[in-house]
Amino acid sequence: MNEIDSILPQALRRVLSALPIHIRENVEEIRLRQNLPVEIRFGQQNHFLTEAGQITTNFRLGYVFREELSGQLLNQISQHSLYALEEELKRGYITIVGGHRIGISGKVVMERGEVKGIRDITSFNIRIAKEKRGVAKPVLSYLYERGRILNTLIISPPQCGKTTLLRDMARSISYGNECSSSRKVAIVDERSELAGCLNGVPQRDVGPRTDVLDACPKAVGMMMMIRSMSPDVIIVDEIGRPEDSEAIWEAIHAGVSVICSAHGIDLADISRRPGLGKLIQQGAFQRYIVMGRSRGVGTIHGIYDERYNLMQKPLDQSRNQPPDKPQTQMSQKEQLPC
Amino acid sequence: MLKLIGAVIVLLSATMAGFYMGRQLNQRTLQIRGLLLALQLLETEILYGATPLKQAFDKLGRRLPPELGRIFNTASENLASPNGQSTQSSIQAAIDRHWSGTAMKPSEKEVLMSLGYVLGNSDREDQKKHLQLAMSHLRSLETEARDEQGRYERMYRSLGFLSGLLVVILMF
Repeated sequence: MNEIDSILPQALRRVLSALPIHIRENVEEIRLRQNLPVEIRFGQQNHFLTEAGQITTNFRLGYVFREELSGQLLNQISQHSLYALEEELKRGYITIVGGHRIGISGKVVMERGEVKGIRDITSFNIRIAKEKRGVAKPVLSYLYERGRILNTLIISPPQCGKTTLLRDMARSISYGNECSSSRKVAIVDERSELAGCLNGVPQRDVGPRTDVLDACPKAVGMMMMIRSMSPDVIIVDEIGRPEDSEAIWEAIHAGVSVICSAHGIDLADISRRPGLGKLIQQGAFQRYIVMGRSRGVGTIHGIYDERYNLMQKPLDQSRNQPPDKPQTQMSQKEQLPC
Repeated sequence: MLKLIGAVIVLLSATMAGFYMGRQLNQRTLQIRGLLLALQLLETEILYGATPLKQAFDKLGRRLPPELGRIFNTASENLASPNGQSTQSSIQAAIDRHWSGTAMKPSEKEVLMSLGYVLGNSDREDQKKHLQLAMSHLRSLETEARDEQGRYERMYRSLGFLSGLLVVILMF
C-alpha cells in the first residue's frame, strides 16, 4: 500500500488514509475515473469512497476524482515523462514499483491501423498486487518424478488464481522445497504478470535462481531461454496459439520441463481447443491441474496424470487458506528457502 | 590630493563597468551555446534512452556550467517533490528562480519557458519536434548574440574608460 501511496495525489492519499484499517489492508483495486466518484474493491465487494474516508454504495456521496487529480496522478506514474511510457501506453497498463499494475483507458491514437498510444487518459484501475505464498505447496509433490520436473498444464477459467499458482510454483522450484532441491527456472512473462517486472527487474519474489524474460512473446521467448539460459524448467502463462505448441515441443525435446497454464474449464473442454488439443493428444504433458473457484479463488479441482487418471481429489485449499483471513505471514514462514 | 584619489576611483569604476558589460555580452554567447548543448543532450536522453525527465535533468545539472546547471538541478528537485506540482510549473519555477544568475536576455528565457509547457507530456516524436524547434530558435539567437558581441564588446570596454575620463576632466 505504501508504494501505491507514493504515487497518489495528496488529496486522494488523505481520503484513503482515513479508511478503516481492515479495509485499507485488503484493498484489491482502486478505480479512478475522471469526474466520477472513486471506487474501491476489497474482498469481492465494490464500494464508493466518501470524502471522509467512509465507504458507501451511493455513488452520489462518493469523493469525485477531479481532472487536476488525474493530471497529477499521471505525472506521478510517468515521473513527468510520458515519452518514457510509450510501450506501456500501447499495451494499456503500467507496472510500478512493487509489481502493482495500473490499467489505463482514454482516447486511443491510431497510426497505420495500429494502436500508437493512449491520449487524454481518464480512467485508472490500480490493481494492488498481493503475494500469496504457499499456494503451490499442496501440488508440489505431484510435479516431480524421480527428481525430474514433469511437464504440467494448469487449466482454469479466468480469475481463479492460475497466475498466482504459477508464480508460487516458480518460487518454490527456484528456492527448493520438501520434494526437491532448487532448480534453475526460466519465466517467459509476455504480459508482465508473473514476475511484474519494472525495468527488467522482477518486483515479485520469483526465487533466487529464476531468470525472467519480460514482455516477450511466448513462443520466441521460450526458444531464446532454452538457447541462452539453460533452464531446468520453463514457466509460461496462458498458452494457446499454434506457435506456442511448437515451442513447447522444442523445449521438451531439448530436455527442459515446461509448466504452463491455459484457459479452460476441464480436461475435456481444453482437448477440444485446436492448438492445445493436439498438444495434449500427443502426450506433451504428464500432469494436469484443474482449478476453479467453487470454494473460493484458487480451489484445485483435481490433478490428473498423463493417462488422464485422477490422482488427487479436489483439494480444499480454503482449509489452510481461509479467503477472509490474510495468511501471508504464516505461509511465509512455511515457505522459507529449504 | 583628495581630488586625485577621487579621480582614480571614478576612472577605475567606470573602466570596470565597461569591462563588465563587455563580459556580459561574451557570457551571453557562451551560455546560449551551453543551452544548445543541454537541449541536444536532453534530446538524446529522451529519444534514445527514454530517460525520465528527473534523471535527465540531474545529468544535465552535473554536466553544465554552474549558472546553467542550477536551473536543471532545481527543476529536477521540483519534479521529485511530492506535492503534486505540474511538470510545467516545476520547470518554469526553476527557470524563474535562477535566470537572474545568467547573462542571457528575455528572448532566450522565452524559448526555455515555452519548452517548459511541452516537455514530458507527449511521445518521443513530438518531444523531438519541440526540442528541435527550441534549438533552432536558440541558434538564431546565438548568431545574434555573437554579432552583438563582435560589435559592442570592444566598444563597451573603451567606452567605460573614456566616460570615466570624461567625468574626471569635467571634475577638474
